[in-house]
Amino acid sequence: MNNDHNQHKSDWTEIRRKTDFEIIGNWIEPNSQILDLGCGEGELISCLEKEKNVYGIGVDKDTEKVIKCLKKNIPVYQDEVQSVLKNFPDKFFDWIIFSRIIEDLNEPGEILKQSLRVGKHLAVGFINHGFWLNRLHFLFKGSRIINSVYTDPWHISQRTNPFSLKEFEKFCKENEIQILKKNYLSSDWVNSQTFFPNTFAGYAIYKLTQ
Amino acid sequence: MNNSTDAFLVKHQDWHCKDSFDFEKGGSISEFNLRYETYGELNENHSNAILICHALSGDYHCAGKYSQDDKKSGWWDNVIGPGKAIDTNKFFVICSNCLGGCQGSTGPESINPKTGKAYNLTFPQITIKDMVDAQYRLINHLGIDRLHAVAGGSMGGMQTLQWAIAYPENVKNIIALATTARQGAQAIAFNEVGRAAIVQDPEWKKGHYEQGEGPKVGLAIARMMAHITYLSDKGMESKFGRNKKQNPDNQFDVEFEVESYLRYQGESFVNRFDANTYLYFTKALDLFDLHLKDEKLDHMFSTIKAKCLVIGFTSDWLFPPDQNKAIVNSMLRCKKNASYAEVEMDFGHDSFLVRAPELYTMIETFLHE
Repeated sequence: MNNDHNQHKSDWTEIRRKTDFEIIGNWIEPNSQILDLGCGEGELISCLEKEKNVYGIGVDKDTEKVIKCLKKNIPVYQDEVQSVLKNFPDKFFDWIIFSRIIEDLNEPGEILKQSLRVGKHLAVGFINHGFWLNRLHFLFKGSRIINSVYTDPWHISQRTNPFSLKEFEKFCKENEIQILKKNYLSSDWVNSQTFFPNTFAGYAIYKLTQ
Repeated sequence: MNNSTDAFLVKHQDWHCKDSFDFEKGGSISEFNLRYETYGELNENHSNAILICHALSGDYHCAGKYSQDDKKSGWWDNVIGPGKAIDTNKFFVICSNCLGGCQGSTGPESINPKTGKAYNLTFPQITIKDMVDAQYRLINHLGIDRLHAVAGGSMGGMQTLQWAIAYPENVKNIIALATTARQGAQAIAFNEVGRAAIVQDPEWKKGHYEQGEGPKVGLAIARMMAHITYLSDKGMESKFGRNKKQNPDNQFDVEFEVESYLRYQGESFVNRFDANTYLYFTKALDLFDLHLKDEKLDHMFSTIKAKCLVIGFTSDWLFPPDQNKAIVNSMLRCKKNASYAEVEMDFGHDSFLVRAPELYTMIETFLHE
């Protein structure tokens, strides 16, 4: 059972990874300077280095992941995401990437604003918490959903800050952040989903600038 | 294979350079000696050499033992040796006593060939750059054009940075641990207290004491105080707490274990370290500053070519994580391949010398081709 669960989990990780890589990878121009906040094991940078000759820096606070980045020979900086932006001058990066990290940050709005100072463009990918199944589950069951996206029950989870597409776009509007591109994906995280996205999209990736 | 029951046996060597050496701040010496050790074999291409740089009170003996019965191993034996993070089965490891030192390399207590007397304070002022320039000559002498890596902590870490800046073509990777791009006010302040203890000891005699004599009390106090800065509140608490040693003979005799430990550190240091070298080296640390006049660090790192790994330690309050991060931030602004890693340990500045599997993995991974 557990093995199946883990297998399922890793398949999902693979799909998410590909989603981010493909969409963000397509947006990024060759020879760009990129900062990947919450870079994990550094796959995205490593891949973009090879394919697009980017100069990429990864940031992660986890030692195991930092070591994986060292193994891939990419620059990595072990620290909290919110601590690194102040170290760089205005518009130093062509791209700052937030791939499934926004939900885990304290005061993500402030971090997004700082990132728009340091980066020309942001790529922000996150899970849409407004997805209809999440809503129905809480409405009828009175408890939060546990599935391949929200894998763990509350008592073994980290602090997290889920939000919907609608809330995110409202924030962008209020702060005069331009949404240059947006990709809404359905619950399979592969196919596009443009019909009532705040209800039917499972995942979204935005290209932002200011 | 490494057999843990057999000690890794090593021996030191001397290289006597017959050419003169000009110091950064002026002055020169007509010839000099560097004492060093090497472990492992230099490969055919001479591409597997790693230079280890020691800290203020360190020396050339960084790994192995001199005999099976030797009680103590070299100062970084947990990191360097067959099958270890810096694997001597793969790499040719070199460590030399710094120029200006007192463990076999030419320094203030050495005899000036021109006068037949010890240099003492006539030895030119030495800087981190001078130490590195002397190492560069040794490396050339050993037939190595490009080092696979230079690694070191604290004052050794400063040397790794200096290597990357001064010899960009000759070093491929650097690993700097628990270090800084400039000595801050607090660190200078501690060094000054140490120097004051030495120069105010009447036995210092303005630096002109005879060999075997000298400001033993002052040097021991300097070492005791400095040693506190290498530890941490938490580390000392867990190691010593308020444990008592013995019933003291009088009310100011050693009572707590921590007192006994520091006195031992002070006394044993006097037997192996020259007070004038301590003055020269602490001054070299204080003078170290890679910032240019406009307070910018980035210019210095803009020309480096080495891939860099800087490792900070959470409990280090002598060269705290932020000072280590500042180095990497600057390198990253210069678009270098630089990484910062942090190790959570309670042993203060000296954490880099302590057994830490995480640290070993970082070093080993980084050095891997």
